[in-house]
Amino acid sequence: MTEEREEFPLDVLFVGGGPANLAGAIRLKKLADEKGLELEVGLIEKGDAIGNHSLSGAILDPIALKELMPDYAEKGCPIEETRLHDRFYYLTQHRKFDVPFTPKFMHNEGCCIISLSRFTRWLGEIAEGMGINIFPGFAGTRVLFGEDGRSVTGVGTGDKGIDKNGKKKATYEPGVDLTARVTIFGEGPRGSLIRQVDEKLEIFSKTMPQVFETAVKEVIELPEDNPFLKGQDTVIHTFGYPLGLDTKGGGFLYRMKDNRISLGLVVGLDYEDPLLEPYQMFLRYKRHPLIAGIIQGGKVLQQGAKTLSIGGYYTMPVLSVNGALFVGDSAAMLNAQRLKGIHTAMKSGMLAAETVISAFEKDDFSLDTLRAYDQKVADSWLNAERYEARNFTQALARKGVVKFMHIGAQYFTKGRGLKDPLSLVEDCATLKKLPKDWKAPEEDSEKPEYDGTLYLDKLTGVYLSGTQHVEDQPCHLIVHNTDICETLCYEEYRNPCTRFCPAQVYEMVEETPGERRLVLNPSNCLHCKTCEIKDPYKNITWTCPEGGGGPKYSIV
Amino acid sequence: MEIVVLVKQVPDTESLIQIAGDGVSIKTEDLKWVMNPYDEFAVEEALRIKEAQGGTVTILSMGPAKTVETIRTALAMGADKGIHINDPAAEGSDALATAKILAAALKEMPYDLIIAGMRAVDGDNYQVAPAVAELLGIPQITQVIQEEITGDTIRCTQVVEGGAAVIEAKLPVLFTAQRGLNEPRYASLPGIMKAKKKPLDTKTLADLGVDAATVGAQNQKVQITALNPPPARQAITMIEGDDPQTLAVNLVKKLHEEAKVL
Repeated sequence: MTEEREEFPLDVLFVGGGPANLAGAIRLKKLADEKGLELEVGLIEKGDAIGNHSLSGAILDPIALKELMPDYAEKGCPIEETRLHDRFYYLTQHRKFDVPFTPKFMHNEGCCIISLSRFTRWLGEIAEGMGINIFPGFAGTRVLFGEDGRSVTGVGTGDKGIDKNGKKKATYEPGVDLTARVTIFGEGPRGSLIRQVDEKLEIFSKTMPQVFETAVKEVIELPEDNPFLKGQDTVIHTFGYPLGLDTKGGGFLYRMKDNRISLGLVVGLDYEDPLLEPYQMFLRYKRHPLIAGIIQGGKVLQQGAKTLSIGGYYTMPVLSVNGALFVGDSAAMLNAQRLKGIHTAMKSGMLAAETVISAFEKDDFSLDTLRAYDQKVADSWLNAERYEARNFTQALARKGVVKFMHIGAQYFTKGRGLKDPLSLVEDCATLKKLPKDWKAPEEDSEKPEYDGTLYLDKLTGVYLSGTQHVEDQPCHLIVHNTDICETLCYEEYRNPCTRFCPAQVYEMVEETPGERRLVLNPSNCLHCKTCEIKDPYKNITWTCPEGGGGPKYSIV
Repeated sequence: MEIVVLVKQVPDTESLIQIAGDGVSIKTEDLKWVMNPYDEFAVEEALRIKEAQGGTVTILSMGPAKTVETIRTALAMGADKGIHINDPAAEGSDALATAKILAAALKEMPYDLIIAGMRAVDGDNYQVAPAVAELLGIPQITQVIQEEITGDTIRCTQVVEGGAAVIEAKLPVLFTAQRGLNEPRYASLPGIMKAKKKPLDTKTLADLGVDAATVGAQNQKVQITALNPPPARQAITMIEGDDPQTLAVNLVKKLHEEAKVL
């Protein structure tokens, strides 16, 4: 670094504009006002606006929202549906079977359907109205550490206006070093900065790896006379087809306002078949008679993809270090058993805020004070509900009958099950190699058909995500060794990146037979980070592109 | 140099644009609002002139409360102050009424140069800025891709069909920015913080001496009777061929046989 970067001091810095950090910032400001503390609070978000990178089902358990803002309804909280009537099906290719016994954690009474993008945008407006400095379009690219190397002192934002060769363009705008007494990381699943913290301070467990699922979802507008819009059911969850029973994941269909529905498929990234393509699975799911019947005549308004951090309780990192706290999906706060993570993310942000207030009262931002956050999490309902689900993701990762034995045993032993803790395998290590003589079938028997309206190819989907990046910038996807792609990975897995990426960022081109070359389309990127998680050689690192780039979700 | 930039807040064209139930407006619930991209060129040019010659850049905009965000963006880029005309009676004003209101505001202010985007990407009228110049009785130069100020004279290169025209005028002048004039800068993070403390006045029609009965939706000279979405995007066809000759032959063939335009 030849240039002196401008330092910009804050009292508290939130990194990431999702529900965890926004709830945290709102709580912090409220408490600070009550106690007469004058704090300069900043929040950076890589998306061009708050909510642009927020995507979820989503069913919200309003428990944390009620604690944060009892008058949320009066404040205009955007809720799609409050009357939740659940159906739970097991699907085979052509049929559906009612699951006769809906497990208790699948009950959604008292919850509501929301669009996370809308909800987050609303939280952002409230936070901004309270005087929090919201900086959308600014990506954090490096964690700042104190001289001791053991404390976090802030985050540096990325330079803007750098061309693809790393040279400054006429519009060059250097990043700034945002320093803070406390930095709260709420980057969502697989944060790129929390990884830097882990490299230095080892906050993630070595034995219980972070594990993920990738969701592809759409908001579909249905014709006004569509019977589903008038029916009793508002929530459908399915498992089975098209994933089968050995790959974890499932589908969801929720009713929204304005003749819209939310439809998605979640695929566990511990799948074993290198030929599996989550996006094609989603299309197959849409073609299932149950789903195809409901969405008939519809039109996709928006599409997107995002990963979920589903490891749960045992995969939680150390939650506090000197000068920093970790919240939300970054810290594996989601409850996979309830398929919900917004309320837990928000609660973690709020508990972090309470901890930060005591730190200011004591004027001590070391681990001695910040450690109280871990205890607050342990003592709250946040851990109570997640503790009961502590082995659930692990059980789902098992195959065949064993899976159901674990789930059954856990159900009746408050989560302890047959073995506690049950082990987990990292998602990048589960792919099975293809046989040496494997040949692609001549014609795919389930060749998808696209109509451009309801059944979309990947690139039309990318278009409907609104994703955009400044074209002339360094590639934000670092493929460390492209030789592996062209030789080893091709032979062993036929380049699964070309399939697991939901946005066709990765392509292998064969210009002359046998001469393969990896081509990247980083502008398509939806920031889901599946590539970094699933690549079998850990050959891909996802870094933040220039701030403001990425999807422009508004209703997903 | 006193520079005033006319700025409009418009829906982000990447937003989900859907026609509302009334058939003559669009759904606004999930829109993202941004500065009209052509106005960004105008702001950038104003800042460059100020940097070269000194002076003040004032942002003038009309719209509902959320318009403040766009004015703040211009202030974060480096403009000095903002004036926001916010009056429910002005809602629904067409291009002419909007120009009348902006001109009324400008009559109360010092200006040597007024810059605006050549068009707003929502209504696409190309009218407000030229009408403002007419109402103020000052020269206007539209669709400018280059300008140079020497003393009290501005020399602008204007895009015309098939070429460019070079036009000179004595200040005060209004000119409108075309793509190519410059590449707008980013609003920096310190700039955003500074923008929060820059002066931003809000004015009503009464403050400007504009009779509310002469503007707004009920005085539209132009009325929208229907809105239709543009035709759906057709799939791209890749022309096949290994060399330019074959590509050209195949292209002509497709234009003749499939597109039937040749």
